[in-house]
Amino acid sequence: MPEHRPTTHSGQPEVISERTGPLLTVTLHDPARRNALGLVLFDQLESALEACASLELGELPSVLVLRASGSAFCAGFDLEACVQDAAMLPIFVDRLRRLTARIRALPAVVIAQVQGAALAGGCALVMSCDIVHATTDATFGYPVHRIGVSPAVNLPVLLATAGLGAARRIALSGEIIGAQQAASLGLVQCVHPDEATLHAAVNAVAQSLCAKSPHALRATKDWLNTVDGTASSGRLGRSAARAAHATIDLCRTDESRQLLESFWKQRRSTK
Amino acid sequence: MSERATLTIADGCATILLRRSEARNALDCDTIDALRCCIDAAASDCSSKRSGIRTVVLAGEGKCFCAGMDLKGVLHDAVRMGDMLRGLSSALLALRKLPVPTIARVQGAAIGGGCGLAVVCDFALTHPEAKLGYPEVDLGVCPAVVAPWLVRRIGAGPARALLLTGGTMGGEEAASRGLVTRCVPAADLDAETTALAARLATGGAEALACTKRMLNELDGSLDEAIAAEAAELSARVIAGPEAQASLARLFATKPQGGPAANPSR
Repeated sequence: MPEHRPTTHSGQPEVISERTGPLLTVTLHDPARRNALGLVLFDQLESALEACASLELGELPSVLVLRASGSAFCAGFDLEACVQDAAMLPIFVDRLRRLTARIRALPAVVIAQVQGAALAGGCALVMSCDIVHATTDATFGYPVHRIGVSPAVNLPVLLATAGLGAARRIALSGEIIGAQQAASLGLVQCVHPDEATLHAAVNAVAQSLCAKSPHALRATKDWLNTVDGTASSGRLGRSAARAAHATIDLCRTDESRQLLESFWKQRRSTK
Repeated sequence: MSERATLTIADGCATILLRRSEARNALDCDTIDALRCCIDAAASDCSSKRSGIRTVVLAGEGKCFCAGMDLKGVLHDAVRMGDMLRGLSSALLALRKLPVPTIARVQGAAIGGGCGLAVVCDFALTHPEAKLGYPEVDLGVCPAVVAPWLVRRIGAGPARALLLTGGTMGGEEAASRGLVTRCVPAADLDAETTALAARLATGGAEALACTKRMLNELDGSLDEAIAAEAAELSARVIAGPEAQASLARLFATKPQGGPAANPSR
């Protein structure tokens, strides 16, 4: 698949990585666009994870905290880019598949720190993480059928995380659920009243994990990927690749194109 | 049969009792062997036409259900360590395959492999003051053997967070997270266990066996390859320098066998 370079990027970093001993913090930092997943953000996020995974064994972080600047964690794909260039949506789907697989395979425990919206691709990022903490106002879901897209690429991980019944409901309904409900469905481990509490709690969990044996943590994460089938060679991991192909075909249909354009028009007119 | 575990049958209920209370029923090689003998004896009784066994209760003598794997004696013996982990993994699978409903009566503590025993049973009852959990990663150990069973019990997402975080929890939290079926007052634990066994015994034996077999097939419980691989992985991690150092430190401060009290999450 051809790589498209962005033409209108401001040059500001959209992902910030900070390493403090065994802890790596990766921050999505494009708050003006609610951290929408576009090429630059995909590139930078993937580079940050790649840099982490390619370290020598002794240099690997034990824990990665994935967080976001601004009022939303991540609002999903950069739909404006998709409307401007029809080739973008399939590229984004493939990039999302790669990125979520990379998070799952990362030899570090990944904690998602979620405030505000974590929708569609943003929800997919969160679901790929090992531990999820969120504020009460955080929202989750895959409202993507309205733009003619399927959340299929994230279904294997969602299914492993939430179980068959809940995954079916969330994926097919496109409903946006709150943090408490997400917690009751097993998508979120801990809900906090505000961002300050969230930040402190995630930091405490990260520090406690950093004090443990990195070898045991890595072996345990790797084994869980085997047991739940989400490893790239596992039952669910392999079906993610198939799902990506199917979704990419779907993105190229007239129906998807029309739904996306009319959704975008409507959104512009209500702004 | 070694006296480390005994099987008694009364009124259609088979009770497998761990009897190493001086070490909080920590699982060493002999205890695992004895447990396995009891499970096999119960299984063979169940398969006989005249079997009166309708339920199996798994219990521990003394103050604790089971404090976990007793790694102390085998820390530097990779061969016996491997045997012990394979023994536990295969005993858990045998326990799961019993064709009658199984109930763990969890008093005091069910830690690590002990929690694994409780979670592999179809039902588990405990009380608020009990400590349950998987502090393996706190000790540099990988909970590989117990992980598949927890995943089948509470789902992969919650199991992932729990096993990666380590620590222990009280009986009420264990019930709310689904590790155990119910948390009842300590004084009622025996009576509630007996009452549940009696209620289960009113169901058709064939029907229960069929339902359980189906559930085991559907949730992947019968996957022997996963159980075997888990034991090897766990043994490899324990043989590594981080686990060896961390366990040696633990045993230096805690001379009594069995994993010690662990930091709460």
